[in-house]
Amino acid sequence: MSENIKVSPWLDSSHKPYIEIQNVTKRFGEFTAIDNLTLDIYKNEFFSLLGPSGCGKTTLLRMLAGFEKITDGKILLDGEDISEIPPHLRPINMMFQSYALFPHMTVEKNIAFGLKQDNLPANEINQRVEEMLELVELTDFANRKPNQLSGGQSQRVALARSLAKRPKLLLLDEPLGALDKRLREQTQFELMDIQEKLEVTFVIVTHDQEEAMTVSSRIGVMDSGNLVQVATPAEIYEAPINKDVADFIGDVNILKGIYKGQNEIGTQLLSEDSNSIVFATQDAGASVEDEMWFAIRPEKLEISRTKPSHNHNILKGKIEDIAYGGSFSTYHVKLDNGKILKAIRANRERTKEHHLTWDDEVYLQWAAHSAVVLLS
Amino acid sequence: MKLTQTNPNFFKSIFNGRNAVIAIPYIWLLLLFLLPFIYVLKISFAETIYARPPYSPLLIWGDSWLPSIKASFDNYLFLFSDSLYIKAYLSSLKIAFISTILTLIIGYSIAYSVARAPTRWRGILLMLVILPFWTSFLIRVYAWIGILKTEGLLNLALMSIGIIEKPLMIMNTDLAVYIGIIYSYLPFMILPLYANLEKMDMSLLEAAADLGCRPFKAFWTVTIPLSLPGIMAGCFLVFIPVMGEFVIPDLLGGSETLMIGKVLWTEFFYNRDWPVASAVAILLLAILVVPIMLYQRSQEKAIS
Repeated sequence: MSENIKVSPWLDSSHKPYIEIQNVTKRFGEFTAIDNLTLDIYKNEFFSLLGPSGCGKTTLLRMLAGFEKITDGKILLDGEDISEIPPHLRPINMMFQSYALFPHMTVEKNIAFGLKQDNLPANEINQRVEEMLELVELTDFANRKPNQLSGGQSQRVALARSLAKRPKLLLLDEPLGALDKRLREQTQFELMDIQEKLEVTFVIVTHDQEEAMTVSSRIGVMDSGNLVQVATPAEIYEAPINKDVADFIGDVNILKGIYKGQNEIGTQLLSEDSNSIVFATQDAGASVEDEMWFAIRPEKLEISRTKPSHNHNILKGKIEDIAYGGSFSTYHVKLDNGKILKAIRANRERTKEHHLTWDDEVYLQWAAHSAVVLLS
Repeated sequence: MKLTQTNPNFFKSIFNGRNAVIAIPYIWLLLLFLLPFIYVLKISFAETIYARPPYSPLLIWGDSWLPSIKASFDNYLFLFSDSLYIKAYLSSLKIAFISTILTLIIGYSIAYSVARAPTRWRGILLMLVILPFWTSFLIRVYAWIGILKTEGLLNLALMSIGIIEKPLMIMNTDLAVYIGIIYSYLPFMILPLYANLEKMDMSLLEAAADLGCRPFKAFWTVTIPLSLPGIMAGCFLVFIPVMGEFVIPDLLGGSETLMIGKVLWTEFFYNRDWPVASAVAILLLAILVVPIMLYQRSQEKAIS
């Protein structure tokens, strides 16, 4: 998570938001891509827009850049309404998903392109280009053409080019999408370092939830043109607002059931799967007999061959599949009614004695505070 | 292994199916380009005689078993002694150059707007560009006579609107030749330009705008440099054939319109001076070798 923001300005009403997206709607003909969306982003945030393809996240980013005209509503940057300002006059730069490097220009010329548009003196441009090349460690590649660069190098040139003008806001459209996994993870940390060093506000669009979790100060989860939940990565993961968010971010087990009121442990749910009452500490805020769901992350489901001593929040099943992941294993446990739950267990022991294996009869249990109560 | 020994599979390896396929274009060029070219080259060194064919033979079989060669550069020297030919070459270069530039300007704007049109329109628009090819080139040039002549469609239209009182004298001038050339060669300019502009990554223009570049400047600093291969291809495809153009200046041009293609035709058919006509053709080819090679190189670059 980005540490640039030591406090959480979004919790403090005295902080003024840096970017204010106010009731923005974008229609393409009959199709509504963004539907009356309102969002505040604060200075120095590393904000991620996350969502499945077609959810409108890229459209929102392109409206911030000025490539798409807003149908309704307005966008303020640092208190100034930028809705009507054309892209070439906005103090905002974008790093394109395809990188969009000019193929007929060298790395150096690509980075200098934006600075030249401002008619800066030549020595200042050179100095700034030099700085940028150092920042992305490409000084030796200054005279290469884009087609002589690797994917990772192109990505860094694109980043350097978009940062050269010291924008108030940097937009990144799937910046790491074209890189392989190892390079992507390494680059995520580089991005965070650069963001901290330059103190630029970053808004990133991604469909990779792990990436969003790693880099962001906050994540906005989008679906069908609107924000479903805006929160820190930990909040999104541990307290998703509904089944879709829970399912989209990380793995999750969803138990469906009927709300049976509160007791001394907490919320009681008559589970469809076990035909018994299961509990969660969190308050439901629903009326009795409502349909309701519990979401339990796989690492919070404890798996064991022996029957636990207590007798609530226990489900019995059989191991159907095991995915060995080195440091941990994921067990697919089939309940009596055929439903499959996932449980993750760290592989702490090297010996085989404690190992669970296929077709083992196992008990799944969870602490009442590990389950999230969802009403939709 | 002895190096001198012929591999028994040697001939088999040469006359295989793959080589046969590759050989087809070479045989084609050999028969339909190289041999006729050598023939024309040979005639260009001959003298005009009243005979059939109307030129002296190159090789004379005398008493000795080796033929004597009778070649003269008189025809080439003649081309430089009579200012008509030099003027015709220069005039052709000028007309080819100006019409290439004008075709480029018109063709670029058409290719650009087709490439930027909605996808569903592009096929139809491109079809409209190619459609004139369905009619004979000659007929289309004749049609321009009907439009441009003194009592033609253009003058009638302009006079009926009241823009002009007296008919414009366009027919049989250089202007008519330019109109005819630009009209006829426009598709050759549009097609390579379109092929280039259509595949251009639009995000490059967005990137330019994002970095503070005005749309007009982005056109000059991004679009034009990136479409250079298309511009080169289009210009050469127009310049090279226009240089030797004969039909358009003959039909639309006046007596003052001087083009080397017309001169060549006159030498060949009116004067029946095959050797001089051949020399004119060879010299024309020599002049065009430079742009043809430049075109080849630009195409190779575009491929790699």
